[in-house]
Amino acid sequence: MHQLTDNALMLKVKSGEVDKLGLIYERHKKRLFGFFYNLGNDPMTSEDLVQNVFVRMLKYKKSYTGEGSFMAWMFRTARNVNYDFHKKNKKNTNQTDVAAIAYKLEDETSELERMDKKDTMVQLERAMHSLPMEKREVLILSKYKAMKFSEIGEVLGCSEGAAKVKAHRALNDLRSAFEKMQIQ
Amino acid sequence: MEHENFEILAIGYLRGELNEDEIRQLESLLEENGEYRATLKALESSWQGMDEFGTPTPSDDMDQQFFKFLGKEMEGTEHKGKVSQILGKFLDWVFRPQLAYAMLFLAIGLGGGYLLKQNGQEGTVPAVVTTNVTDATEVRERLVLTLLEQPSANKRLEGVSEANKIAQVDETVIYALLKTLNNDSNVNVRLAAIESLTNYVDNALVRQGLIQSIPNQESPIIQVTLANLMLALEEKKSIAPFKQLLQDKKLDTSVKKKIEETIASII
Repeated sequence: MHQLTDNALMLKVKSGEVDKLGLIYERHKKRLFGFFYNLGNDPMTSEDLVQNVFVRMLKYKKSYTGEGSFMAWMFRTARNVNYDFHKKNKKNTNQTDVAAIAYKLEDETSELERMDKKDTMVQLERAMHSLPMEKREVLILSKYKAMKFSEIGEVLGCSEGAAKVKAHRALNDLRSAFEKMQIQ
Repeated sequence: MEHENFEILAIGYLRGELNEDEIRQLESLLEENGEYRATLKALESSWQGMDEFGTPTPSDDMDQQFFKFLGKEMEGTEHKGKVSQILGKFLDWVFRPQLAYAMLFLAIGLGGGYLLKQNGQEGTVPAVVTTNVTDATEVRERLVLTLLEQPSANKRLEGVSEANKIAQVDETVIYALLKTLNNDSNVNVRLAAIESLTNYVDNALVRQGLIQSIPNQESPIIQVTLANLMLALEEKKSIAPFKQLLQDKKLDTSVKKKIEETIASII
């Protein structure tokens, strides 16, 4: 039953077999949650945004053609969901970013022996949060081994080569931001 | 152009997806340009550092919210909200304490109904379970499990009602229904769980679970319902737990009489 591709499942959802959305959800919920969380949303908001992606998938199921990559379509939807959310909550965006980092810091108090490594990781995450949203997006997406650069290009609305260049430059900016934080 | 080529090759290298030819191209660029070598080394460190980003696990609430939403969508009508409200009001009305005796008669009818159903189903050919049906069943089972964990009694009743729509439940749902029968704080939910379980009395696990729940029940209406059901099933294994129940000094006198009659009939 799990051999059905995401594309095939989504086409079934489109044809009225709404229950198939449950299988798609089970396959991608963690990945989507990680996407929103690593973009700087707090855990609760990330959960709400995952839900919104599936609500939107169902709402726009008629427009799903089955052509192209499902992952690209899903992440394009996720990207729009995130964009709309932050557009609506513009004033709270920075607070949310800080809250997300604070949440992680609290988690780390029990791991004193790995403090140094964690400090570095926290700094790298701070550096990540300091990047513009589109750079964070391309970095997070390029970390998913299941996604090809051609699919990332589809999500971002550019060619495969351009997606690779964007990913490289975003990573370079991450490195620069991280190095600046270490000097400070 | 050369720099852009380096950027493309470097990110491919970090993702581990370069072919032999591309690796040679990158090596050649690195040999020619010391700055590229330093950049790639620094980028590799940041790239690997990203693996350490801790992402918490989403909570069970996310699943509950999703399957609640999906359950509503599966009902498939825009009028679902109104229907739910009407159903909610109806259930509130049906399960008023004053109507407890009406439930008692319903439960008595249940036993009789089971016997009739048994006669009617002789020779029935089992339906072919298609993949589509299995998928839908899996989602519905998940919905049942989620709803049965809800704090609201109405939601738990919805969960039992969803279970009734499944032609062939798996053990997880059966255990969840038996857990509801034994532990739910609301007598109406427990009654509904019995009603649902009667759909699967041919399953040994269900029969055993129903029998084992007899001594655990304190509500007279549940005790009488189980007595009627065991009578209908002529389940001899229920005699011992019923006798155990008879030892309870708090047992309602009319229930006691009913159980004694049941034991006598089964024997």
